[in-house]
Amino acid sequence: MNALDILLALSALMPPAALLFGRWRGYAWLAGMVLTGQIILLAGCDLPLAAGMNLEIFGRSVGWRLDAFGRFFALITLGVALASTVYMGGEWGERHAAGGHSPRWLHGALAGNVLAMLLLLSSQDLIAFFIGWELTSWAGFLLMAQGGEKALRAALRYVPYAMSGAMAVLGGLALTLAWTGTLDLAALTGIMPTLDNTKLALLLALFGMGFSIKMGLLPFHLWQAPAYAEAAGAGTAFLGAISARMGLFALALLLVKLMTLTRVADLAFIEGLFTARDLLAWVAALTIVLPTFTALKQNDARYLLAWHGIGQGGYMLLGIVIGDATGSAGGLLHVFNYATYQAALVLAVFAVMHRTGTADLNSLGGLVTRMPLTFLVMLLGIIGLAGLPPMNGFVSKWLVYRSLMLDGRPLLFLMTVIGTLGTILSVYKLIHNTFLGQLRAEHEQIREAPWSMTLPMLALVILAFVTGAAPGLALSWVAEAQAALGLPVLAYTLGGIESPRGNLDMLWIVGVLFAGFGIGALLFYGAGGRSKRVHQLDNYAGGHFLSADVRYHYSDHFYAGLMHRIGPFYRSSFTRLESAVAAATDLAASLMQVWYRQTVPALTLLVAAVLGLSWMIWK
Amino acid sequence: MKMMELLLELTVMPLLAFTVGLFMVLMMRKIAAKIQRRVGPPLLQPLYDIVKLYAKETQSSHGLLHDIGIVMAVGGYIAAETMLPVPGMNGIADKAGMLTLAYVTMIPSLGLALGVGQCANPNGSIGIARALTAMLAYDVPFVVIIFGASWLYGSNNLVEVIAAQQAGGIASWGVTQMPLLAIAGLFTLYAMLGKQPFEIYVAPAEIATGPMVEMGGKHLGGLFVMQCFQLFTASAIYVSLFLGGGENWLFFIAKLFAVVAIPMSMAFVFPRYRTEDVLAVVWRWPMLLGLIGVWLVMR
Amino acid sequence: MSTLQSIPVVAPPAEEPSGGGNLLANVFDELLAFCRSRSLFMLHYCTGCGAIELPPAMTSRFDMERLGIQPMVTPRQADILLVTGYVSTKTLKRIILTYEQMNSPKYVIGICSCTVNGGMYWQSYATAKKLSDYMPVDMYIAGCMPRPEAVISGLRELMENIRAGRSDNWRDYYQRYDHYLGNQQRLFGEHWQTPTDVIGEARHYGQFGPETLGEHTALLERHQTPLLPFEMRLGLGDVSKGGKS
Repeated sequence: MNALDILLALSALMPPAALLFGRWRGYAWLAGMVLTGQIILLAGCDLPLAAGMNLEIFGRSVGWRLDAFGRFFALITLGVALASTVYMGGEWGERHAAGGHSPRWLHGALAGNVLAMLLLLSSQDLIAFFIGWELTSWAGFLLMAQGGEKALRAALRYVPYAMSGAMAVLGGLALTLAWTGTLDLAALTGIMPTLDNTKLALLLALFGMGFSIKMGLLPFHLWQAPAYAEAAGAGTAFLGAISARMGLFALALLLVKLMTLTRVADLAFIEGLFTARDLLAWVAALTIVLPTFTALKQNDARYLLAWHGIGQGGYMLLGIVIGDATGSAGGLLHVFNYATYQAALVLAVFAVMHRTGTADLNSLGGLVTRMPLTFLVMLLGIIGLAGLPPMNGFVSKWLVYRSLMLDGRPLLFLMTVIGTLGTILSVYKLIHNTFLGQLRAEHEQIREAPWSMTLPMLALVILAFVTGAAPGLALSWVAEAQAALGLPVLAYTLGGIESPRGNLDMLWIVGVLFAGFGIGALLFYGAGGRSKRVHQLDNYAGGHFLSADVRYHYSDHFYAGLMHRIGPFYRSSFTRLESAVAAATDLAASLMQVWYRQTVPALTLLVAAVLGLSWMIWK
Repeated sequence: MKMMELLLELTVMPLLAFTVGLFMVLMMRKIAAKIQRRVGPPLLQPLYDIVKLYAKETQSSHGLLHDIGIVMAVGGYIAAETMLPVPGMNGIADKAGMLTLAYVTMIPSLGLALGVGQCANPNGSIGIARALTAMLAYDVPFVVIIFGASWLYGSNNLVEVIAAQQAGGIASWGVTQMPLLAIAGLFTLYAMLGKQPFEIYVAPAEIATGPMVEMGGKHLGGLFVMQCFQLFTASAIYVSLFLGGGENWLFFIAKLFAVVAIPMSMAFVFPRYRTEDVLAVVWRWPMLLGLIGVWLVMR
Repeated sequence: MSTLQSIPVVAPPAEEPSGGGNLLANVFDELLAFCRSRSLFMLHYCTGCGAIELPPAMTSRFDMERLGIQPMVTPRQADILLVTGYVSTKTLKRIILTYEQMNSPKYVIGICSCTVNGGMYWQSYATAKKLSDYMPVDMYIAGCMPRPEAVISGLRELMENIRAGRSDNWRDYYQRYDHYLGNQQRLFGEHWQTPTDVIGEARHYGQFGPETLGEHTALLERHQTPLLPFEMRLGLGDVSKGGKS
């Protein structure tokens, strides 16, 4: 039994344990301790590590082996699972159970997800990979379906996507076996780049489609926002923070390790101008921009965050597709950074929901005085999501920007920045409509969320802040992952990077920033006259007397001027595409049915005769 | 000893920026006055205003965040000034780079936005919504310009960009090397300063000065300080990218004031755009020039 | 109201600034007073025809900005409240709210005869006659309407008063709040209240006077729905209690 065996065994024990003891209040603490133990175990072990367990399927050995790249994702998975488990172990879980939902199934689904992801992340060959992939999809479905009827409907929408993705992956797997004769990942690394371009393109298309669906890349992103938003609170945090990144893991594995980026760049659509690699970069860039601006229009905090989740995936893929040391480090680091603040943000939104009963951005406001800790979490979280210093989101995005700048990709760079700016707009709307502005009369008696909820959120944002001020802490994992994946390794320092073409030292930047805030505070509190708090109704309204029954919080259609300009660009093209594909599938199915059941034999005969005759004539 | 020098620089740079900014505010008001054939304010008027506002005896605050917003707005700029090289002082410019600087200067705006949000005044919220929209408008061409400059000089580091320009004299200045980007930059700077016709988020007659609606006393004073920093920062970035930075303080200040004077001499004869028109005009002209400029630079 | 003396301007006698013989003791206060006098942000509550005289006073002809005076938009930003004409009962409520929302030191200037004694609306049932019954007025600029020269001259005099420390009427509002509130209640009825908290402010800033509280404030407190500011509160209740509720 080595560390990986223990890790997997513990994870395998947890789903049944959750189903048995999920109702017991102490279960969350137990699961939390197990997860903490797993994190410590994983962080401390030497890699790569092969599991003792081996299967034999169709005469092929199936095994598991964890390298630094998988561990990077596994650590994030376990960390987010820990935060979610603690969160749902307290008052939130009781409320969830009181609402007629099953805490057993929720805990079980979460534990199942962790197991499935660990299996996927440590797969040694494509069969183990496919097992993990399918388990992840179905465990994900279970977790998505936990939040009532809407959640179930959204989860069911995911099913056709997941199935077609799985079919594509399976197809790719079969072709790989046929063309290379092996499914072992280590063996494939040498063989796959030697395949000719057509075969490689086909494999890229099949695998790429399957993985993109999980990751929510354009144009396969439609399922994700509702499925992730409607799920039960802690589940949403887990899904949003890490679940979709399994697609990224698989894509990175495929593009960098198996095919190598140089081979991907050989697959040219227009010789020398536009290659498959460019296509991927542009898909990533569009995935940044379009979902971000969709998020901007959302009126439900959960949907807003879920759409941002799709958008942020673009940065990660873009960084990896650029493939240099800085860019890929940025892309990988973003996985970690994004997980920290996205989980915190989702948990914060559900804390607000827990207290007020709604996540509708038009019926909240002014909660900062009532839920200050949750506000703090959301503030730090949105600074991270928007990618501003001093949070860690800035560092990873900065790395991506910089590699785009040095790589000479102005348009892609522009797309990433537009995405960031759109995010700033959108997250300000989120925090403004929830925590700032007028406190509604019905929310005056609201209390802060309980410790079981605030603690995991605070831990996450503190982590996000610390790794923002000292990105070297997280970059050490990233560098290991880069090495394991075969990417050029980033030379990092504790504060960021040092390079002749521009440094980044977050320790200094954060230090100076806080020194600046300190001086600003001294100037403000020390130099001026005393101030007195006033009531929110003591407010300028052109001389009008405000009263509590009048709602004057400016929340709806927040960016009216912007929407006036870009509104016409929202054409729901992707929704229409989805409907068209669905309709086409439907039509094909009906035709098949007509033919199979022989409802109109004469017509079938006629068609067959015409086809036969034309074939003969053509011959 | 090096550490002491650095600490000294970190203290002096914001102070100098503030002082220069005060006179820029004065110049702005003087230009407005001259255009309208008035005498305009006396020399120390911006200082009087700030002292008076801080010295108000009763001050109303809408809560902790209202105060913190101002602290962040002023403090963020104090921090940003140390990343902006001025003659003789580099501060921590080589640890940050211009992209970082661009993002650090968003922190004061975010702080202000938070403070205004806590005021619970719809005019303020509308103002912030517009200010953020304006930011979305002008930051897009701005990063195109940053891209062009860092491509041309091969570095993200402002210190090196300035050194490269000063090494070759006027011929190697950004304005001669990439004239289209310089024009786009001036346009962007104009939009960034938020004076007419880009004054959408202040709009006194429409949304009662937007973000400033509930700001009085030291809150407003803080915003006046922030304005000084903002004028300095925007013009200093422009000078560093296109006009060779400062060989010495005399030239540096002359360039800074010239850069602010150009948009200001145009501003006060204009009425105000609507929000969507700001987007249209900024995304059209400086963007077009900027992208062509980048293409020329990269060719 | 027939003689000039009865025009009710509250002007306390100028006091010698404290600090004894120490010259430096007053330097800071002098500096502040100087800055206050040289930077006046003005909120013009344009109730009547007098407002038409302000644009020429502000623009190229007379240019107030050279004196450091500039228009502002909201009460929070302003130092001077300019009331430029007749004050109807309905308007007066807004003027009082606006005044109370301003940050001290604040100054009120009544422009035109209407603010002094009702002017040509003397006989109107709906017009408040004397502005200084409802809030302390620092300066009246009489005339129907006063020309910009008169406005500028009045403002200069106010500046001189501020510099010399003679214009302290904003304290009077705190110290004799009962008196002003009584007049307001007489006009608006006993349910009159603004969302501001004058008594609380007087307490907070140490401006309490013998007449801050009285029968009128007692009446106010009886009817008032108190508007305490929302303090930030953690309220981390025990988990079990929240769970069961």
